Amino acid sequence: MKKIRRAAACLLASVLLAATLSGCGGSGRVLKVYNAGEYIDKSLINEFERKYDCTVIYETFDSNESMYTKLMSGEEYDILIPSDYMIERLIREDYLQPINWDLLTNAGNLMDSVMENAAYDEEHIYTVPYFWGTVGIIYDTTIVNEADLSQGWNLLRNTDYAGEIYMYDSERDSFMVALKALGYSMNTTDTAQLEEAYDWLVAQRDAMEPVYVGDDVIDNMISGNKAMAVVYSGDAAYMITENRNLNYFTPEEGTNIWYDCMVITKNCTDTELAHQFINFMLEDENALKNSEAVGYSSPVESAFEEMRETVYEGISAYEPRFGHPSDEVFGYQETELKKYLADLWTKVTAY
Amino acid sequence: MKKRKKGFPILYIVLCFLFFYVPILVMMVFSFNSSRSLTRFEGFSLHWYEQLLADSEIMGAVSVSVSIAALATLISTVLGTLTAIGLSKTRRVLKEWLLNVNNLPIMNPDIVTAIGLMILFSSMKFDKGYMTMLLSHVLFCTPYVITSVYPKVRQFDDSLANAAMDLGASPFQTLTKVIVPCIKPGIFAGMLLAFTMSFDDFVISYFVTGNGVQNISIIVYNMTKRTNPTINALSTIVIVVILVALLIGNVVPMLANKKKNGRLKEEER
Amino acid sequence: MRHFKSLIRPYLVWSFLLIIIPLLLIVLYSVTTGGNSLLNIQFTLDNFKKIADPIYRQVFLRSLKIGLITTLICLLLGYTLAYVISGFRERTQTTLILFVTIPMWINTLLRTYAWISLLSDNGVINSFLSRLGIGRMSIMYTDFAVILGMVCDLLPFMVIPIHTALAKMDKSLIEASYDLGANRRQTFWKVTFKLSIPGVINGLTMVFLLSISTFVIPKLLGGGQYVLIGNLIEKQFISVGDWNFGSAISLILAVAILIMIWATKKIDTSEGGER
Repeated sequence: MKKIRRAAACLLASVLLAATLSGCGGSGRVLKVYNAGEYIDKSLINEFERKYDCTVIYETFDSNESMYTKLMSGEEYDILIPSDYMIERLIREDYLQPINWDLLTNAGNLMDSVMENAAYDEEHIYTVPYFWGTVGIIYDTTIVNEADLSQGWNLLRNTDYAGEIYMYDSERDSFMVALKALGYSMNTTDTAQLEEAYDWLVAQRDAMEPVYVGDDVIDNMISGNKAMAVVYSGDAAYMITENRNLNYFTPEEGTNIWYDCMVITKNCTDTELAHQFINFMLEDENALKNSEAVGYSSPVESAFEEMRETVYEGISAYEPRFGHPSDEVFGYQETELKKYLADLWTKVTAY
Repeated sequence: MKKRKKGFPILYIVLCFLFFYVPILVMMVFSFNSSRSLTRFEGFSLHWYEQLLADSEIMGAVSVSVSIAALATLISTVLGTLTAIGLSKTRRVLKEWLLNVNNLPIMNPDIVTAIGLMILFSSMKFDKGYMTMLLSHVLFCTPYVITSVYPKVRQFDDSLANAAMDLGASPFQTLTKVIVPCIKPGIFAGMLLAFTMSFDDFVISYFVTGNGVQNISIIVYNMTKRTNPTINALSTIVIVVILVALLIGNVVPMLANKKKNGRLKEEER
Repeated sequence: MRHFKSLIRPYLVWSFLLIIIPLLLIVLYSVTTGGNSLLNIQFTLDNFKKIADPIYRQVFLRSLKIGLITTLICLLLGYTLAYVISGFRERTQTTLILFVTIPMWINTLLRTYAWISLLSDNGVINSFLSRLGIGRMSIMYTDFAVILGMVCDLLPFMVIPIHTALAKMDKSLIEASYDLGANRRQTFWKVTFKLSIPGVINGLTMVFLLSISTFVIPKLLGGGQYVLIGNLIEKQFISVGDWNFGSAISLILAVAILIMIWATKKIDTSEGGER
């Protein structure tokens, strides 16, 4: 019995601890921010709370899709930081409210080139860029012959490197690769083109035996376990800082150029605070801090320049390609198309 | 009774524990990694421990994880044990039915349970957060308790309980003084499993929580790309604390006993 | 003893509210289309027809195979471990069981990452092997790696229930068996093992149920080509957003497993005898 009493006491203590920890917090103003995991320098949140005397409830998600599922369940947030195609969906489904650009005194810090290339929200009515980049191939310079790079995406089908490849286990990214290799738009809805891309992926699978991975690709490439992988430019920049034998290139056939943006939801009540948060993230100094912590390319000009010349000097992956005519931004996909692609992808991977 | 040989058992236990603890050791080693990789060791550093102490999000998650796991274990153990005892006296049809229903949360992929609960809580306009998370944890922990306790209840000899009651014990006394002690190993096993399931759950917790309430697993899974050894540092501390507690719990009484025995011997002289 | 019948009432209510109702929602989703809002639904059996596609049958069979192999290995290793542990003094037994459980309190993802750094081509084991001059082996992304990771993760779920069954076993029965002239092997199979059957069934069920719906470990140690029923379902719910199809798959899975459990119970009652 004594043991039980002791256990009960421990329990009570831990509950009280939890209650006090969750109960504390600043006065009045509250901002709920929903962002991808490890996608911010957390000291910035504390700094923001101090500066504006408010409480930030900060939650994280592991993919745009689980964020969306959570929103559909009725959870409410003030600021979200999703990717381009998800933003397009949120705009269509009327989840967002327009940004008041007059409140963003730091808006001038944003790079023009990032602002101009925005198929997801041409006029930036709802979106303020947060990070951006491309998708490309990271390769081990000690194994891959530089001359082969001219093959573009078809490098992934060069049998010299059979068994040496990681592909992303996601239909979106993999179909992008295949469609681009075939010279089509990655936003195509033409079934004939998609079938052709499917055949490309199946042929690649049979000839190359790639391993389909998720974010574990980062550690694997750094450790030099295989010769090449399809990755995001921001991750590539980080991988190269950890393993100097790696290099990144974006194939000439064109690629996916992506943007993650800050948006304000319809049900945000304290829009003033929300704008203050966005403005705070656009400050030169804060943007630099954030880019240093996350390792992705900042849309804020000064931070971008600074990073390019210091931490990522000589690493091309930090500077995503601009203005290539075949590069595209992912668009919104109808559910039917998504189901169709998901089925095809299951057939590629589960053989 | 024949005495079993001790050589093989000890060797086997050592091998099994090696199997269990090698990954844990590797995980601990990486908490001292100077780079953020979880699979490639670059050099020694205490960087991640500093990060851990400075990270209020993780510290908050620790208290949520621990308190939810403790409460869920307590509630589901009581609920599960009572149900298991009652179950053995129930009509066959109802019993079979309940046991099958009980298997559902174990068997359904977490995501199915999670979506089901998410829709339920949303449609009932529950305020998502600590309470919804606790309810859900009790939900998926209780089946493990029932499956652990029920076989012990089946082995329990009814006549003992009947005898106790014939001798004037109240049903409550019979329950706590006779039945529970007999099925204690089952309860203990159920508690262990319940705590384990609760402590390590991500999917269900993620979809039923809200308002900034997060447990450790949610943080770990959402780190995805940029997973870093802060969590390894945390886990290392957890392991060390548990081991020290176990050591104190086991060694100190042993030493105390020895001392007492020693003193007794001295007094005998 | 009849007094205790009413003890199941709280759980009856509870299971109805939190297990049955959500399950009914899943059933509803599985036979309808019309997206994820319940406002404009239409009844259909298309979701089930889709599962008949050979590719999904293959995914089912692979999950079943992995589940069965993992369960079998867990049974062999776990029974031995539980049996060996039950030979110690009671206090030591508790400590040993705790030691079996503690690794489970460390996040699965972290433990799996540790396995990756052990098993990968340039990992700990391979560098050790090449230092010994044996040469490297490709361990990652094989059946072996997946099974290894799963067994390590699920073994405690086998050990704990079996140990519970063995722990408080009436030792006089074993002595009686020896007194009656049975040898060690006969005593083990006819007495010890027979009495531990409820624990074994319990462990088998838990490990099998958990292994068939898992996907984090196979995905990391086996690669994305390890499409199992668990990730198929998760994908439908999250990345595709097709809750209807996801519900249909999980419903089929649930029915298939319930039938298997029912079959096991039949064997249990015919061999072990219902008390």
